[in-house]
Amino acid sequence: MIGYNRKAIRVGKLEGCGSSLPAGKVGGDFFEFFVHNNKNVVAAIGDVMGKGFPAACLMKTIHTMLCECVNITPHPLEVVRRLNKIGGDELRRRGAFVTLCIIYCDGETGRLSCVNAGHHPPIIVSNGEVKVVRCRGVALGLLEDYLGTGEEEIYLSPGDMVVMYTDGLVEAFGPGEKRYGLERLKKIVHQQPDADAAKMKRCILSDLKNFTRGYSQRDDITLLVLRVLKKAGEGCGD
Amino acid sequence: MEIRLQHRDGVAVIKVLGELDYSNVEKLEFEIKRRWEKVIEIDFGNMRFIDSSGVGMLLNQARRLHKQGRTLRIVNIPDFIRENLEIIGYFQVMECLERNKNI
Repeated sequence: MIGYNRKAIRVGKLEGCGSSLPAGKVGGDFFEFFVHNNKNVVAAIGDVMGKGFPAACLMKTIHTMLCECVNITPHPLEVVRRLNKIGGDELRRRGAFVTLCIIYCDGETGRLSCVNAGHHPPIIVSNGEVKVVRCRGVALGLLEDYLGTGEEEIYLSPGDMVVMYTDGLVEAFGPGEKRYGLERLKKIVHQQPDADAAKMKRCILSDLKNFTRGYSQRDDITLLVLRVLKKAGEGCGD
Repeated sequence: MEIRLQHRDGVAVIKVLGELDYSNVEKLEFEIKRRWEKVIEIDFGNMRFIDSSGVGMLLNQARRLHKQGRTLRIVNIPDFIRENLEIIGYFQVMECLERNKNI
């Protein structure tokens, strides 16, 4: 029923793509797309505490658990609660935590459900307006039971987009120790009203590259874009 | 990262200057672990950056001290660091610790 290990997706009225750029040889960031009922998409993005090989190993473990949880039920709040239960002991044993944001998008109705566990909330681009999702929650592994504001629901229209990212993106360093920042990300997203998911991803990464040119980055950078197609069969740019 | 130690009314004050990240988190952890005072105050007034390794270490130390009936508190948190701590849920975890539940 649910497929995974996808770095780009196009199913029914939805398309998505993502990229992960580790600061070193390997990193602790991850993202994933899952298809549900051949028309709906679950997208998840996460960041494991720490750096390098230890974080990458823990990321693999959590990623596997995430896939198992989504296969049981793709309901975002259930996924987060279950993942915090089955992964929490391992995380606490290692003194670590994972931030995770997960969305479920119904390809027919455009209904988007979002749950957040200690992660930067997604940006929604809807009818030319840029909004930040409000839902919040405690990162996985910090408490025995997941604690958060619950599931936030948003209805997307054709052409609307969701941009999910890890802290490495908005905290990327540029000239004068300035950070890339949420406002710059919102601005570049706003400037691409007609972009498809792949073009939006390229524009953000290109702007980030311009900003950080010559400055080495200390954190992994991961970005995921999900978009509702304007019409079925619309061309895809990636 | 630079660490300056002070003592004020029975409270150990650890001033942290610069950037706390994966590369130096053990240095601050060592200083916290060797303090014996009931209350340890981490002064972030001159912090420029903290990564997830730094946040994780502080939470682990707060838990450890709480089990011993002691307190770890962070003061003078710059807005951009406070925002990151809020997103991760740091303050909610500290509240749960104080209420001694779900942890």
